[in-house]
Amino acid sequence: MYKSQQLALKYFAASLFVFGLLVVAGLLAAIYYVKFGFLLGVLDFSVAKMLHINALIISLLMGFLGAIYWFLPDELGQETVGIALAHLLFYVLCLAVGIVVVVYIFVQYGGSDQFAMWFINQGRKYVEAPRWASIGIFVVLCTLAYNIAATALRARKITGVIGVLIAAMVPLTLVYLFAFPAITNMSVDLYWWWWLVHMWVEATWEIIIGCILALSLMKLLDTPRRIVEIWLYLEVGLVLGTGILGLGHHYFWIGTPAYWLSIGGVFSALEPLPLLGMVVHAIYDAGKHQMKTTNKPAFYWLLAEAFGNFIGAGVWGFMMTLPQINLFSHGTQWTVSHGHFAFYGAYVTGILAVVYIAVQNWRQIGEVTGNAWKWAFAFLNLGMIGMVGGLLISGMAQSFYERALGGSTLEAFMAGQSNPWFMQGMYARLGFGIMFAVGFVILVYDLGRMVRKGRALPPRNVAA
Amino acid sequence: MSPQEFLSTAILLGVFVACAGCYGLLYTLARLRLSHVLMSMAYGAYLLQGVATVILLTQTSLAVVWKLLLVASFLIYAGIPPVTWRHLERTHQPVGHQS
Repeated sequence: MYKSQQLALKYFAASLFVFGLLVVAGLLAAIYYVKFGFLLGVLDFSVAKMLHINALIISLLMGFLGAIYWFLPDELGQETVGIALAHLLFYVLCLAVGIVVVVYIFVQYGGSDQFAMWFINQGRKYVEAPRWASIGIFVVLCTLAYNIAATALRARKITGVIGVLIAAMVPLTLVYLFAFPAITNMSVDLYWWWWLVHMWVEATWEIIIGCILALSLMKLLDTPRRIVEIWLYLEVGLVLGTGILGLGHHYFWIGTPAYWLSIGGVFSALEPLPLLGMVVHAIYDAGKHQMKTTNKPAFYWLLAEAFGNFIGAGVWGFMMTLPQINLFSHGTQWTVSHGHFAFYGAYVTGILAVVYIAVQNWRQIGEVTGNAWKWAFAFLNLGMIGMVGGLLISGMAQSFYERALGGSTLEAFMAGQSNPWFMQGMYARLGFGIMFAVGFVILVYDLGRMVRKGRALPPRNVAA
Repeated sequence: MSPQEFLSTAILLGVFVACAGCYGLLYTLARLRLSHVLMSMAYGAYLLQGVATVILLTQTSLAVVWKLLLVASFLIYAGIPPVTWRHLERTHQPVGHQS
C-alpha cells in the first residue's frame, strides 16, 4: 500500500468524523424549528447552522482529498510526490478544524473588528472559518495541486483523467481566494462570494467528482480507460457549459444588473440536460454489468449519485430557478430542500462509493458481503428523501404565505413560520433527520466491520 | 403571477423535468431489455412531459422567453436518451469494431 493511500484512509476517517458532526449539528438545527427557545443563549440556531454547513464543506473537501490521494499513485504507478508534506498538513488541518469548532461552540462570535475576522470567524456563509484557518485550507489545496502535478511530472505520464484533475486544481485553489476579501458593499461582497460558492459547487467540484467517478468505474467495473475518458470529457464539458453561467441564478436579487435574470434563468434551465445523459449512462453501465460486482455497496452508491444528482440538482433546481418563481422561493426552506438534495446526490454518494472501494482494497476483501450496508443505504437515502420532502413542504408554505400572499413583511414572516404546513414539514424533517442519523451510524458500523474482517495490504517501500 | 399560480407553476416545472427523467430511465431500460412495453412507457413519460409543457405554455403567465426555453428544452430532451444510447454503444464497442 502506498503512503498516499494510507493518507487517503486517514482523510476518509476524518471526513466521516466531520460528517458525523454535520449530522449532529443538523439535528440540533432541526430541533430549533419545532421547539422554540431551544438552547437559546447557550448554542443559538446561528451557531448550529454555521457548524452544519461548514462541516459539510470540510467533510466533502476531506472526502475529495482522500479519493485523490487514494487513486493517484495507482493511476500514475508511483508514490505521490511530496507525500510527507501532505501527511503533515493532514494533521495540521485536523488540528485547525478542531480549534475552529471549539471556537465556534464556545466563543461563537466577536466584534466587527480585525481580531474577530482573524481568530473567530470571517462571517461569510459556508466559509466562516477565521482567516488563519482559511489560509491553512488554501495551503492544503495548493499542496494537493503540487502533489498531483509533481507526481505526474515525476512519472512522466499524464492520463486523461489526471490532466482534467490538474486543470481543475487551478480554479479550485484560485476561487477559494474569494473567501478572503472583506468588502463593505454587500452587493459587491455577495457577487464575489458567489463566485467561490457556485464555482466550487456547480463547476470545479463537478469536475473533481467526475474524475473520481471515472477512476472508480475503472476500479470497480474494469471499464476501459478509453470509454471513461471520452465520457469524462463530454460530461465535464456539458456540465461546465451550463454550470458556469448558471452562476446567474444567484445574482437575481442581490443588486446586480437585470441582465443576470436572463443569463441565470437560461443557463440554469439547461443544467438538467447533461444530468439526464448521466442517468442514461448509469443505467446502461448497470444493465451491461447485470449489477455484478464484488463491491455492491460502492456500485449502489455510484448509481445513487447519478439519480441523486438528477433529482436533487435537476428536478428540485428547475422547480425554482426561473426568476418569476425564484422571486418567491429564494432563501426559503425550499432552497434548503434543494441544497440538501443536490449536495447529497452529487457529492456525498460519490464519496461513499470511493470509501467502500478503498476499504475493500485496503483490507483485501474479495467480495463485500453482509446486510448492514443495505440498511445504511436504505436509511440514508430514505432519510434524505424524507428530509427534503419535509423541507419542500415547509418551503412551499413559506413561499406561498410569507412571500406571495404576505408580501415578505415581518408580520408575514412570523405568520409563515407558525403556519401548520410549515410546522408539519419541520416535524417531518426532524423525524427523517433522525432516520438519516441512524443510517449514518449503521454505515460507520459496516465500514468498521469491513476493517475488522479483512487484512491490511502490506506497505510498499516506494520512494516518494 | 398570483400566489396560487406561482405554486402550481413551480410544481409543473418540477413535473416537467421529472417526466424527462422517467423518459430517460424507461428508454434505457427498454433498450437494455429489448422491451416494447417499457419503450411504450418511456414514450408515455415523454408524452406526459409534453402535456406539462402545454399546460405551462397555455395556463401560466411565465414570460414568453421562458416559454420558448421550455419548448426548446422539451425538444432537446427527446433526443438525449437515444443520442446518449448510440454514443454509449459506439464507445463500448471493442477497438477496431467502430464504424
